[in-house]
Order: sequence, then structure tokens, then C-alpha cells
Amino acid sequence: MAVQTFLFASLIIFSSIESNHGATEVSLFTNLENSLEVTAKPTRVGVVWEAGKDIVRITWMLKSSAKVNDDAAFKTVEVKLCYAPISQVDRPWRKTHNELSRDRSCPHKIVSKPYDKIPQSLNWTVDRETPTGTYFIRAYGTDVNGYEVAYGQSSDAEKTTNLFSVEGISGRHTSLDIASICFSVFSFGSLLVFLVKEKRKAKLQQRK
Amino acid sequence: MTIGGGHGDSEVLTVMEPPSQRNTETPSFQNATVPVDSSGRATVFRPFSLSSPHSRAFHLAWLSLFSCFFSTFSIPPLIPVISSDLGLSASAVSAAGTASFAGSIFSRLAMGPLCDLIGPRTSSAILSLLTAPAILSTALVSSPTSFVLVRFFVGFSLANFVANQYWMSSMFSGNVVGLANGVSAGWANVGAGVSQLLMPILYTTIAEFLPRDVSWRVSFVFPAVFQVITAVLVLLYGQDTPDSNRKASNRNKDRTPVEEEHSSFVRILLDGLGDYRAWILALLYGYSFGVELTTDNMIAGYFYERFGVNLEAAGTIAASFAISNVASRPAGGMVSDVLGKRYGMRGRLWGLWIVQSVAGLLCLLLGRVNSLWGSIAVMWVFSVFVQAASGLIFGVVPFVSKRSLGVVAGMTGSGGTVGAVVTQVLLFSGDNVRKQRSISLMGLMTFVASLSVTLIYFPRWGGIFCGPSSSSASDDCSQRLLGDEEEDDDKVVISGRLRPVC
Repeated sequence: MAVQTFLFASLIIFSSIESNHGATEVSLFTNLENSLEVTAKPTRVGVVWEAGKDIVRITWMLKSSAKVNDDAAFKTVEVKLCYAPISQVDRPWRKTHNELSRDRSCPHKIVSKPYDKIPQSLNWTVDRETPTGTYFIRAYGTDVNGYEVAYGQSSDAEKTTNLFSVEGISGRHTSLDIASICFSVFSFGSLLVFLVKEKRKAKLQQRK
Repeated sequence: MTIGGGHGDSEVLTVMEPPSQRNTETPSFQNATVPVDSSGRATVFRPFSLSSPHSRAFHLAWLSLFSCFFSTFSIPPLIPVISSDLGLSASAVSAAGTASFAGSIFSRLAMGPLCDLIGPRTSSAILSLLTAPAILSTALVSSPTSFVLVRFFVGFSLANFVANQYWMSSMFSGNVVGLANGVSAGWANVGAGVSQLLMPILYTTIAEFLPRDVSWRVSFVFPAVFQVITAVLVLLYGQDTPDSNRKASNRNKDRTPVEEEHSSFVRILLDGLGDYRAWILALLYGYSFGVELTTDNMIAGYFYERFGVNLEAAGTIAASFAISNVASRPAGGMVSDVLGKRYGMRGRLWGLWIVQSVAGLLCLLLGRVNSLWGSIAVMWVFSVFVQAASGLIFGVVPFVSKRSLGVVAGMTGSGGTVGAVVTQVLLFSGDNVRKQRSISLMGLMTFVASLSVTLIYFPRWGGIFCGPSSSSASDDCSQRLLGDEEEDDDKVVISGRLRPVC
């Protein structure tokens, strides 16, 4: 059912975009070269970022230590928001998998841009629908066929440094709260009304 | 020669009504549009009519229980969205799942005596109206703890099952009670499957207009409103017994001392709790309905992980397991009634034993089948047998005790959810669960549990291996437990048609 697809893929929808690229070949993360340098600088430092509000300046470029023709295969750069290990604990739907088509740790796509030899940057507003969690940013260099050939990330290899926290938006609204309270009052109230009516009817019948 | 069943007229157990509650007017059975027995209970089951209070009660009962199942199972399909918004971990999700059944254990136990006390109509309406705010408060959760709490309180609504079965047992006479119980519970169970299909549609429709994190909250308005509507309908159009509503029991205060009322309630409770057959039936129900609930929870994941079907196909397979209740459970009830008609209570017990054992064996097989379509086929046959077993169990429950019917039904119903919790915790929780082995183990446990049917014995009708005791004046303890009223019934029921002892 199309609607069930939409629902269950809402968490993995961005990773499934990669797997739609005719995956007969299996890209493994360990085969990728770490030849991109990615930095993420927030406009507000030292605070938890708010989804939908805070802006981050993301830059990516080829590492100075990279060999000359390392970037020959790059066609596009895909920048993604990835879960830090702490946000993956006890959550198998965010598991890191070496096989990139099955990897669920980087589901949120930030941007996808054609590769340019000069350093590129982007002012990205944290997406409104980003859930609460701890993240880092990763960029994949993909070739003509869409397969990842290289990557770079704003954190270190163990994903322990330069992590940032995002505070997701809670969908609670005052209007919803008020409606719920009114509904509960109606529910209890109608119960009381019925019980009182029944008692009165019983008393009337008894008097007959 | 039948005892536990038989054609409609007066061979059935009379509905228990303390003398103070009888009207002085003659019951208007002459105006009934369906054939009824001496206490006004219908002797035919016509689900597609609304003319008599019996069929109205039937529709109100199954609809209100349907809405409770719908509410309880409206949360699981939206868990991917909820868990990402709230940052729920896998253990929080499974704890919430267990909590939703744990809530119903207590409420089902309490519902039993409550029905005996104030009648099923009022009890079920009270429960529906009190738990409707709980399902709506899913819209207000913002932390894992509150999520678990909400699922716990919403689970309370499943106690309406007890009221449903009690109501049907009060409205339909012994020869069709199995079928009536089975159809109303079966159609209500479908609510769990329909919910899994409908809630995602509702959510995605609302998400067209509202942001995602608000849409899932707003979606829960629908089950809450539905539940309140059914509760109001029950109060407006339902009645407890074929002739009238159960009169408020505080009327007795005018005529008899309060203590007597209290002690008779305590007696009802103790009679039910002390009846060993109620405990056996609770165990059996734990291994039919409990197994069904556990399977509802894990079968989608099983197909997804083992056979690699995609998530929506797995969800559809899981929904089909629940939806087959629409026919399987009624079939179980009908088989119980047919066997009761031909062979009496012994027939009902044999039928139960055979069906539940076969269900256990099929579950054992399910864990061992290696092909996708083979598993689906076995699962479908398994669903028919396990749900029919539930129907057969409630073909026996109405006969255990007339006065403590509510308590017995409550214990049995509660046993179902205890079985679900126990099976889930023992076999399907933790990290290293090997689902195939767990499924086969569950089947084996079902098979072993169903052996306890052999221990059930009714002095008047017999058990699996033995016929009824030959003298009606026997000082068999269990006969005393049934109470004096049953002794009077003896003379009406048996009327010289004692069956031979084994």
C-alpha cells in the first residue's frame, strides 16, 4: 500500500534514494576514501540548535593532503546529516551499516551539488523536521552513476568530536491541548449526566 | 439427548436475578420478535437485524469493543513517526507495547465483578468514556515516560471485552451463546487490523495540510471520538437484559441491609475466584488469545526480517492475520454450539481441545517452514485455528457459573492478556531473540497448555473423559460452589434426562 510505504519510509527515505540508483554494485563504506574536508560552523555557538531556526555554515572541499587526481571521479557532492553514535543507542532503525545501501545512519539530506574544484559552502537552516538528537555532517562524493567514491565528515573517524545537538520541534500546540481538555471534560461530563439520569429514573420507578 | 444445548424452550439456565430486582409486571416476551427462552434470551442469532433488544445489544457490544481495539492498536502503526519525534528508543517502544497489555490485565479482572454489580451496559460505557481521553492524550505526549503511561491507560479499554461477552451471555440463550460470543468478539478484534490499515491513511491525509509533528497528534482525535460515540450509543439504546436494564443495586438498600448486599458481592467474587475451571479457562485463553496478540505484535517484523519482504507488505500480512477474526472466531463459537447441541458440554470441551491443540501444532510448524508462501499459508491456517479456539473457550465460559459470570469472564479475559505479556517477555524480548525458535516454542506451549482442558469437569454435564455424576443430590464440592440457585435449575434442566456416567 502506497500510504504504508510513505509512513515507514519517512525515516529511511533519504537513504533509500541512494539504493534506487540501480544497485547491482555494492558500495561499502570502508572502500571509500576520506578525501573531502567538511566543516560545520554554526551561527550560534555553544547552544543546542533548534530545528527550523538555527543556521549552520557548511563548507566542503578536497583535502589538501589528497592526491592530484582523487577527485577525477566526482560528479556530485551529497551532504547529509548523520546520527552520532549516542543517538543510535538502542535504536536499530538508525544503525550504521557498512553496505551503504543498507546504512541507516545518515537519513537526512542537506544538499546535493555538482562538484567543483573550489571550496564550496552553504548556509543551511536546520530542517524543521529534524528530530531531537546528536549529529555530525558528512559529505559523500558520488560518481556519474551515483555510487559513492569518497566521503568527508565534520567529525573524526570515531565520531566523537565536533558533534552538535539539535532540539526537534514538538508538535504540541496550545490549541491541541485545549481541545483535548474540552474533549475530556465532555467525556466525563456526559458520563456523569447519564449516571445521574439513570439514578433519577430508578428513583422514580421505585416510587411508583 | 442434549443438556448444555437444545432447542430453545426451557432447558437452559435461567438468568440470575435476586428477587428484589424482579418487576411486578410480567415480562413482555410476547412482544419479542425473535424466539426466546423462559428468561427472554434469544434462541436464534440473527446478526443482521436491529428489531429486538438482543440484536441491538449485539451490535452495540461489538461496535463498542471494536472501538476499544481500534484505539489500543491505533498507536503501533504510527510508532515510526512518534518515535522519531520523541526520540524513543527500541526498549521504550517495546516497554510501551507490554504496558498496553499490562493495563488490560487489571482492568479485565475488575470489569468482571463490575458487570455482576451494575450490568454490562453501564460498565462498558463507563470504561469507554473514561479511556477516551487517554487515547486522545497520545496527542499530548512529549517524553518516553508519558508515552508508556498513555499506552498503559489506553490498554485499560480492552476490559470492555469482558462486558461484551457478559452482555452476549445475558442476551442469548445457551444454544447460541457460543456463536453470539464468537461473532461479537471476532468482529471486534478486527478493529486491531483495521486500525493498522486506517491510521496510516489518516495520518498521511492530515499531513497534507499540517506539519508532520502535528499531524500524528491530530490523528488520535479520530479513535477518541469514535470511542465516545459508541459509548453514548450504548447508553442510549442498550439494555442489560432482555426485559429491562439491570436496576441500580442500591435499591436493595431500602429492603435489605447494606451488609447483605456487600457480602453477596464478596460471595460472587469468591465463588468466581474459587472455581478451578475459571483458572483453567484463563490459562487456555492465555494460550489462544494471548498467542494471537503476541503474533499480532511480532509477525510483521518476522516476515520483514526473515524473508525480506518490504515493510508495507509485512504490515499487510500482519493485518490479514488480525482481520481473519471476522470469520474464524465466529466459526469457533458456532462449532462450540453445534457440538453442544449434539453432545452437550462434553462436545464443547472436546472441540476446544482438538482445535487448540491443532493451533499449537500449526504454530510449531510456522516456525519451521522455510519458504515465504509456505509461511503465509501456514500462518493463515494457524490464524483460523487459534482464533476459533478463543471462540470455543467462550462457548464454555457462560456455563461455568451463572451468578459469578462476570468474575469468570473477567478472569478468563485477563488470562488472555497475561498470556500475551508472558509469551512476549519470555520468547520475544531481548536482543538475541531467534524468532523461528520462539514461534515454535510458542506453539509447543500452546499444545501443552491445551492439555489442561482434560481437567475441566462439570458435575452436571461431564468432562472430557467422564460423564456427569449420576445423582443430582451429590455432595460434590463443586456442586455446592455453583450455589443454591443452580440446584433449582437442576430440576428444570435435567427433567429426567440424565446421561450415563463414564
